[in-house]
Formats: sequence, structure tokens, C-alpha cells
Amino acid sequence: MLKEFCYLSPATREELLDMLAEKGSNGRLYAGGTDLLVDIRGGKAPPQYIIDIKKIEKYHILSWGELEGLSIGAAVTCSDVAGSAVVKAHYPLLAEAAEHLGSPQLRNRATIIGNLCTASPCADMAPMLLCLDASAEISSKEGGTRRIPLKELFTGVKKTSCAPHEVVERIIVPPGMADSVGGYEKLKRIKGHDLALASVAVAKKGDRIRVAIGSCAVTPVLLPDFPIDTPAAVIAAEAERSIMPIDDIRASRDYRLFMVKVYIERLMAALQHAQ
Amino acid sequence: MKIRLTINNSIVEREVQDHKTLLHFLRDDLGFTGTKEGCGAGECGACTVIMNGKAVNSCLVLAREADGAVIETVEGEAADGKLSPLQQAFQKHHAVQCGFCTPGMLMSIKALLRINTKPGEEQIRKAIEGNFCRCTGYKQIVEAVLDVTGQLDKQEELIHE
Repeated sequence: MLKEFCYLSPATREELLDMLAEKGSNGRLYAGGTDLLVDIRGGKAPPQYIIDIKKIEKYHILSWGELEGLSIGAAVTCSDVAGSAVVKAHYPLLAEAAEHLGSPQLRNRATIIGNLCTASPCADMAPMLLCLDASAEISSKEGGTRRIPLKELFTGVKKTSCAPHEVVERIIVPPGMADSVGGYEKLKRIKGHDLALASVAVAKKGDRIRVAIGSCAVTPVLLPDFPIDTPAAVIAAEAERSIMPIDDIRASRDYRLFMVKVYIERLMAALQHAQ
Repeated sequence: MKIRLTINNSIVEREVQDHKTLLHFLRDDLGFTGTKEGCGAGECGACTVIMNGKAVNSCLVLAREADGAVIETVEGEAADGKLSPLQQAFQKHHAVQCGFCTPGMLMSIKALLRINTKPGEEQIRKAIEGNFCRCTGYKQIVEAVLDVTGQLDKQEELIHE
């Protein structure tokens, strides 16, 4: 049995923002439950209120427009994104990355925004969304709506710049990064579902290459843009300077560093091959 | 708070506590003990049920969220004392040893077969990647699914009969 908490499910955005303004510091936003309920079961003290956002219809919207790009609502799941015809048509790399998270059961529940807001260094959705130049739209009752680059959402291990009275309502992926080519590589202990021990995303669009790395620092790391003719070894060297992987029970620091280099070389070779 | 949902084609209306998971609601309140609790943390898949057409870990769903939902559990498989074709295929191929993972496996596969009536081996393995079988009978499980979807060639069938 889980420890007691109070479950709230606002039906509208306005109701949610009021609730967060009033109870935000004693509550936690809840979408897929695949992180929060695991923490509570694992012994973490539950918040007084669990605030489920899934009754808010507009949070289920996953849409594409030529002006804005892709808009991912707070209740959109990894399965929604992985299976979406719109995402596959314009951001196939994102659909592919979404397939890497957890198992089918977890992907059916876990939301893209929940994965980002848990802000685990190994969040599977972070590296590719960083490469694709995504931004987060955050709202609160008093503060209105602000938009920040995704990079600025992550402030530490499981820490974000989204305050308790705020909610990340949408992730926006700009049209400029549509039709990027590249890939996502994830190191796991087993072929089945596992957390990333290290992960690398590469996206190439126009005259630049973007690379992001997961599970190798306190936050997912986005490297500076590279010109398209940059050798893989130069990118790997920059990666090594930018990350600080730890030794832990799942993998050593050296193994993570080595595999990041291997994945960068592999993804860059695949890019060359595709040309 | 009272919730109303459909479980295996029957409508159920009950009071539930806010912090009760769907898994414990099914097992403790309704007696649907076919759905198992393994890890309780979304790793093992023993608690898999189908919720609104999708396989989910019922240990990571709150009962309150299931208000208005359509839930399918292993108890909905057999009808009139007869196992479902999928269950019969599991039996035929010895895809059950201790049986603890079986209800979850059946639900994951049932959800897969709704969207893909002839899944290949890779697709079957991917569909059950969130279901652990620690008797390691995956091969038999895959064969059972291939058989029930009419994809097992006669030669392989002979080995088993």
C-alpha cells in the first residue's frame, strides 16, 4: 500500500493554475505516474497533494504547424509521440528516441514532459529534444506564460527551473529542425528495458550538427553546434571535456566515457554513410 | 471517492481511497488476484492489465485514474470454462512454468495482437520487453504467439507434439 496522499484532478487549465498557486508547494504534478509513484513506493514521503493533469483536454494535443513546429502537450505520452504520423513525418529522430524509453507499458503512461521534469540525468527524451532546439512553455497563475530553451529547464540532478506553482504546459520543437537526420544511441545493461548508462543524440540540419549526451553529468549536456565537416574525433574530444560521468553500481566513469566516444563515432559514420 | 469502470465487460462501482493503486484495487477490493504484484515499480510487468486498449503497469496507476476506464485482466480471457486461444497456445507450447508472469504476458500480447495480427519474432519480443519471466521461458512464449497467429511452420510444430 502506498502512503496516504490526496488526489486532485482539475478539469481545466485555470483550475490547475489556481490549485498550483494555492497548494503548489505541498503538491506534485502527476501525469504518467511512472516516476512519482515509484518514488513514493520506494519510501519517499509523498506530497500532500498529487495533482493529475490528464483531465485537461488541451494538454493531450500533439500538433504540427509550419510556423511554430511541433507542439507537445503535458499529457502526451511517449507512445503517442513514437506512433504519431506527424512526428514521424517531420521529426523521425524524436519518434525513434521515444521508442527507447522504458518498456511498452511505461511508454503508454510516461509523458514526454514528465520525463523531462523528473530531470533525471538519464532522461531518454532529453538528448534528442536538446539537439532539436526544443523549448519549454511554463505557466503560472501570477506569472503568466514564459518560454525557455529546454537546456535552461535542467538545473541539477532531478532539479528544474520550474517552480512548484508553475507547470510546463508544452514543449515546442521549432520547424527549423524538422527533417533533421541523425540518431540516438543508448547504452543499457540488457537488451530489454533499462535506464541509460550513457546516451548520445546527434541531429544534423543544414550546415550544422548538434550533439547531446545523457547520463554523463548532473544534467543532460548539449554540446556547442559543430560545422557539418567536423571530424568525429573533434566532437568526441569536445564531449569528453563537457561531461563528468560518475562511477556507480551500473557502470564506471571510464566505461561511460569510452562508450560516448564509440557512439559519437558510430552516429557520425552513419551520417557520412547516408550522404 | 466512488469510481465507476468497466472490468472485463462488467461495470463496477466502488469507493476507493486516493492512494490506492489500480493493482491493489483489482486484487484486494475486487478479488481479481490473477493480476500479480512483482516489483511494484514498473520493472517486471507481472501486474500488466489493458487500460483503454493499452497495456499498462497497474502498480503505477491510481485506482482513481481508472474512473470511467475500460480495464481488461487475465480473468477476462477464459469463457464458459474454456481457455482463450492465446491461453491454449501457451499451454500447448509449455510457455508457463511457475506462472507468475503469465497474466501480465497474456495482457501485453493481447494488446499487441490488437494492433498487429501477425507480429514477427522481434515485434513479439519488443512487446514483452517489459514483462520479466525468471523461469526464462521466453522462447516458448514467442512460439505460442507465432502459433496462435498462424505463423509457426509445420516442421517446428512437429517437434512440440
